[in-house]
Amino acid sequence: MSILMNAIERCLALAFMGAVCLNFANVVGRYGFGRSILWADELQVYIMIWMAFLGAAVVSWRNLHLRMDVLVQFYPRSARLALRAAELAALALLSGFVFVQSWRYTAQMIVLERKSDVAGIPMWIPHGAVALGFGLIALVALWRAAGLLRRRATSVESDEARP
Amino acid sequence: MSFALGVLPVILLLLGFPIFLVLLASVTVALVWTMHLPLAVLHQNLFGTIDAFALLAVPFFIYAGELMGRGSVAKRLVDFVHAGVGSVPGSLGVTTVGAAAIFGAISGASAATVATIGKVMLPAMRRGGYPDTFSAGLITSVGAIDIIIPPSIPMIVYGMAASESVPRLYAAGVLPGLLIAAMIAAYVVWYAKRHGIAAGEAFQLRRFLRAAARGAWALGAPVIILGGIYGGVFSPTEAAAVACVYAALVTRFVYRELGWRDIVAAAASTVLFTGQVLIIVACAGVFAWLLTVNQVPAAMVDWLQALNVSRIELLLAINVILLVVGCFLDPLSAILLLTPLLVPLVKAVGVDTVHFGIIVTVNLAIGLFHPPFGINIFVAQSVLKLELGVIYRGIIPFLLIYLAALVMITYIPEISLVGMRLLLRAG
Repeated sequence: MSILMNAIERCLALAFMGAVCLNFANVVGRYGFGRSILWADELQVYIMIWMAFLGAAVVSWRNLHLRMDVLVQFYPRSARLALRAAELAALALLSGFVFVQSWRYTAQMIVLERKSDVAGIPMWIPHGAVALGFGLIALVALWRAAGLLRRRATSVESDEARP
Repeated sequence: MSFALGVLPVILLLLGFPIFLVLLASVTVALVWTMHLPLAVLHQNLFGTIDAFALLAVPFFIYAGELMGRGSVAKRLVDFVHAGVGSVPGSLGVTTVGAAAIFGAISGASAATVATIGKVMLPAMRRGGYPDTFSAGLITSVGAIDIIIPPSIPMIVYGMAASESVPRLYAAGVLPGLLIAAMIAAYVVWYAKRHGIAAGEAFQLRRFLRAAARGAWALGAPVIILGGIYGGVFSPTEAAAVACVYAALVTRFVYRELGWRDIVAAAASTVLFTGQVLIIVACAGVFAWLLTVNQVPAAMVDWLQALNVSRIELLLAINVILLVVGCFLDPLSAILLLTPLLVPLVKAVGVDTVHFGIIVTVNLAIGLFHPPFGINIFVAQSVLKLELGVIYRGIIPFLLIYLAALVMITYIPEISLVGMRLLLRAG
């Protein structure tokens, strides 16, 4: 999973640098040559959409989501563990739910063969970012939940083994 | 409905759930159990909120700041300001304020300013005879100016949430940012005189010109960004992209401090930041849409009108709410959660939404260093190796300065609006 997330992060970083260059080229083209790259804006926005939803999956894997955790630090350890388990369950459930809804929508885009207005990019590509992003987040949550259960089982076993 | 959109998010927020999950849980419960709408609206709103060209400015400005923050830009800016300040009492403290304000006009990321300017200035201020309590308070609080002086990421997000123009917000943020910087600088001068802290070297034109030449490329970034936007050359998004290319070229080829790997690593950091923030923006978009279709803002305006609350009382109450929220939530999340609710209220009592954007930003800027949980406090603690107690004690006078500035900015709208009118007319 770590390799997959690193690869996603690296691909998104390169795509983002491409978006920066595209935007810059558009400005240079407009002032230097009196021409704009008409499809550039659409492509940049779609790259950002991929960064937002797939980037969120990487953020989930690294456990870096923004949250108000100042009060949680004062809860007892057992309560924090229970909250973490509840959070992972909610994350898996809700992200899975969004994945299903977004996948249905994306599938409609494939069937309808919708394309973007200027660049002519098939619309299932940007819409698919939502489904893929939330699908990956659900997967990360399940992976983390399994890890949590394994650790819990190990600690119970070691407690039982203790004389 | 009030459970899904009111009670549930508060409970989940207090339990420390990720903010995007809090919003997602609320909208899912509302959509599935109470509203019975086609579930495709969830995807449509998640996608539609992010499908906005103006939002691209957020990752672009973050990337420009990341690139500039990785080299010696902070040191060059400090040298430039210090050479210009000369023998003013408290020259090192004033230099910290000036360098932070200029750095803010490049990056707009407050924590980065505390770390980069702090690393340069803390040892110098120690050698200059400033007590750690004072230096810690100054460095930790001064970084908050960065989100008020353009380019400001919270203002882009506010602009999107309140349907307000980002160039207008940026123009309105200049004077309030400079006002706070001037008030802090005045306090630093007074403090240095009172405690007999030695003044710096007298102003020398040669030294100043040398420092200006060394820092010229770094100083070029705010000129390009703000000059480009208000000269009518670029949109804010284009200005941000040009700033990225400029920062990459300067740090790679002029200063020769970053390699290609560093430039890609800065892009990877930007991807993570984008993933952290835009997923909240997407979920907040659905949340705000649900509030609107359920006529929650309209109901709140009716309630407010029934109470007959004056403009002064409402702004006071909102300031208190924002200060409290700012202590616990990062500025972007707070803006996304509260703007859809607060903007209709202030519009109802005749407050300009640009002026209100500045009020919101200043409040949340204070939250960045407000004890006990302001993020800049922990940045200063980890990067500058200072004790929490020292930072807390040092922050108090600066907190009072910010609060005084907040009162002025709240009740004298012209502080925000004059700058906006002047800059937009010049553009």
